Amino acid sequence: MKIHLAEPMHRSQQRALRQRRARLPVGMTGASSALPAVVILLIVVILNAFLQPDFFSADSLSSNLQNAAPVILICMAQAVVVLVGELDLSVGAGISLVNCVLASAPALAGWGTSATCLAALVAALAAGVCNGLLVGYFKQSSLIATFATAAIWFGGALVLMPQPGGTVPEVLGEWFSMRVAGFPLAAVPVLAALALWAMLQRHRFGRRLIATGSSADAVFKSGVDTRLVKLLAYVLAWLFVFGAALCISAETASGDARLGLPYTLNSVAAVVIGGISLAGGRGSMLGAVCGALVLVLIGNVVYFAGIPSNYQEMFKGAVIVVALSFTFIGARRST
Amino acid sequence: MTPILTVEKITKRYGGVVALDAVSVHLNAGEVMGLLGANGSGKSTLSSIIAGDSRPDGGEIHLDGVELAGGSPSAARAAGVAIAHQHPGLAPDLPVWENVYLGAEICSAGRFLNRAAARKNAGVLLESLRPDWDLDATAGTLTAADQQLVEIAKALALKARVLILDEPTAALATAEVESLMRVIRALTAGGTSIVFISHRMAEIEALCDRVVVLCNGRLAGELAVNDRINEPQVLAWMGGAGGGAAAAHMHEARVAEESVKRLRVASNGEVRVALRARGLQAGARLRGVDLDVKRGEILGIAGLQGHGQEELLDTLAGYKKLDAGQVELCGDAITPRSPRQMIEAGVCLVPNDRHRQGLWLDQSVEFNLVQVGVNFEPSAWRLPRLSMKRFVDDVVARLRVKTSDVRQPVRALSGGNQQKVVIGRWLNERIKVNVLLLSDPTKGVDVIARKEIYEAVGTLADAGAAVIVYASDTDELLAVCDRLIVLYEGRVVAGLEGSDMNEAQVTSALFGRSAA
Repeated sequence: MKIHLAEPMHRSQQRALRQRRARLPVGMTGASSALPAVVILLIVVILNAFLQPDFFSADSLSSNLQNAAPVILICMAQAVVVLVGELDLSVGAGISLVNCVLASAPALAGWGTSATCLAALVAALAAGVCNGLLVGYFKQSSLIATFATAAIWFGGALVLMPQPGGTVPEVLGEWFSMRVAGFPLAAVPVLAALALWAMLQRHRFGRRLIATGSSADAVFKSGVDTRLVKLLAYVLAWLFVFGAALCISAETASGDARLGLPYTLNSVAAVVIGGISLAGGRGSMLGAVCGALVLVLIGNVVYFAGIPSNYQEMFKGAVIVVALSFTFIGARRST
Repeated sequence: MTPILTVEKITKRYGGVVALDAVSVHLNAGEVMGLLGANGSGKSTLSSIIAGDSRPDGGEIHLDGVELAGGSPSAARAAGVAIAHQHPGLAPDLPVWENVYLGAEICSAGRFLNRAAARKNAGVLLESLRPDWDLDATAGTLTAADQQLVEIAKALALKARVLILDEPTAALATAEVESLMRVIRALTAGGTSIVFISHRMAEIEALCDRVVVLCNGRLAGELAVNDRINEPQVLAWMGGAGGGAAAAHMHEARVAEESVKRLRVASNGEVRVALRARGLQAGARLRGVDLDVKRGEILGIAGLQGHGQEELLDTLAGYKKLDAGQVELCGDAITPRSPRQMIEAGVCLVPNDRHRQGLWLDQSVEFNLVQVGVNFEPSAWRLPRLSMKRFVDDVVARLRVKTSDVRQPVRALSGGNQQKVVIGRWLNERIKVNVLLLSDPTKGVDVIARKEIYEAVGTLADAGAAVIVYASDTDELLAVCDRLIVLYEGRVVAGLEGSDMNEAQVTSALFGRSAA
């Protein structure tokens, strides 16, 4: 059955439609909210380049990248959850858990590298499913539910590795610091995660994720199972958490149950600096990545500026506050 | 004709309140069924149950003889039932075109979106309702009318066999209503069955083959419509006993008489200008408005959707930033900066979107009513609970707010009663209302509640307040206002008074032709 609802569009209208389409880059809806983050990032990069003369040298860039890779991935994980309108306070503890699995499995169970990594991946995805079930299907407040599960993941990590130690399969560390034709392999997990996200932006699930964060009620009434969308969002986030933990473990080469804990609130801060609304649905992954880079480079700036070590944390906090107020000024202007 | 949809003995309770009591209706293939009833009679509840948004407590729904699982929007959609809700359910951060296909995305292989096809089809659907859309604007930035149109397009996109339109026209202007009617006729010609909910009798008459009337959750009556509708009978069914509603309908003529009388009284005595505005400009929509409104006068603002009416009221209330222009309040110059400043000066707004701007939906009736008073209480430590309670009881009685308990959340009230709560809080004696601004106060409100709302407004005007009303329904403005101004593209194109104040004059001004 075919019904013509209207007279066929006039040619000028068709042209107008096409022009409007041309104006919008693919998968970039909401990217404008990242603008303040991009500006802040530029400022921080300039400061950093000013204080650290060899900032743009290949060695320095690749070492910065190795530092930044896990932070970017964990911030992307948090961004996925925030975009769907929830929060995950257990990502840091998740890093610890995965790290301890990686460091203890070879000694405890005698597993090889691939079996160990697979076990770590399963642990991460199971944690994601668990958070997703609690928040999506059991309608728990994500703030409280993931605060509680954070304690569980951290507890699990402590059971596996009561004291720091153990050895992460060495291959990981070798790959992580390797450069192929000048290209650092540390960038691969980040690029893979970004590519996956970009692909999802053109996929039904990716759009439903944003839509659910924007208005879960509207999406439910449109016949979408929002519980499943939330569950899958958590699983996706924990895939990124796994990537982050892999990078950190490759860097440290050993296990430590307390390793991941500071990352949780850093990831929330990065997401906010990146212009993603904590209410969900608004913002872009580009912003989260910029936010993560800002956090990493602020550490650099503070270090190279020669600020006494006891003052560094304080200074870092102040810079984050300034960065956040930038974001709010930007947000006010756009509405 | 064979029924495509049969609803049998559907019952729904909210807490102790029975919203639907064993209601049975059927819908024939290719017909438009009007669903009528006062606010709170169960129309929206019934339609949301058919659409699967809420689960019935008893009864069955059959579509083509197959039972429909309750409480699942996706099952209802799969079976071919689509609904355009009274309050648009859009994802505010997604662009318009994505909202049209929300939950029914057009996908190519691997469930990747076919963006080009979705954009094109969404564009065609939307243009059938109104020309000129920016498909990339996010839904949250649209006006209420445009959001309603997107909600309708969203339901149309499903190509459903049964289409429920829950008050689709409440926020729409005449031209858009006409396009919608054209679309509905094309759909029924193709065999689609439609449930049409509206408070506007003329639309029902023009569109429906049959009307079903609900009253207090029960089926009150059913009537075929042949060219003309038996209006007294329908109104009698709507009002239950019969007397109340019919009287309400008669009321509009009476109000017009009263306001003329009131104006005469006022002009015999001293007529003081309460609010004078010159060259008001704000944003892109408001581009230089002059107006005067006297004490005790009701000034109506007419115009097509989106010609600056909402912005004018928001600006006067200090809610939207004033770019240029002068405002004088009772002879003193004042620059609207914030709602608080304007409320202190006695300029009070009943906002356009009562859900987002007017109410705390999850808080009680009591909380909503006293909140403004509390904000202006001189002593924050000792709130006068007794006088607040007296105030709440008084307002509920005076405005006839239908609520079982003032501690009930406002969300549970029907639209008309929610609006009474918004108006009711300005009746607080701590606030001297000099100018009352009402932005489309009767949107989605039935005739009886409409009457009660305008009576309350009339009382305030009689007490000396100046009232400025914007309503999307021109007939309503003609009935209740003493004077009308017509806005077109953010400017006043006509000021109508006395015998000039008639539908023909307003209509010609609506499209930008000066009445003079």
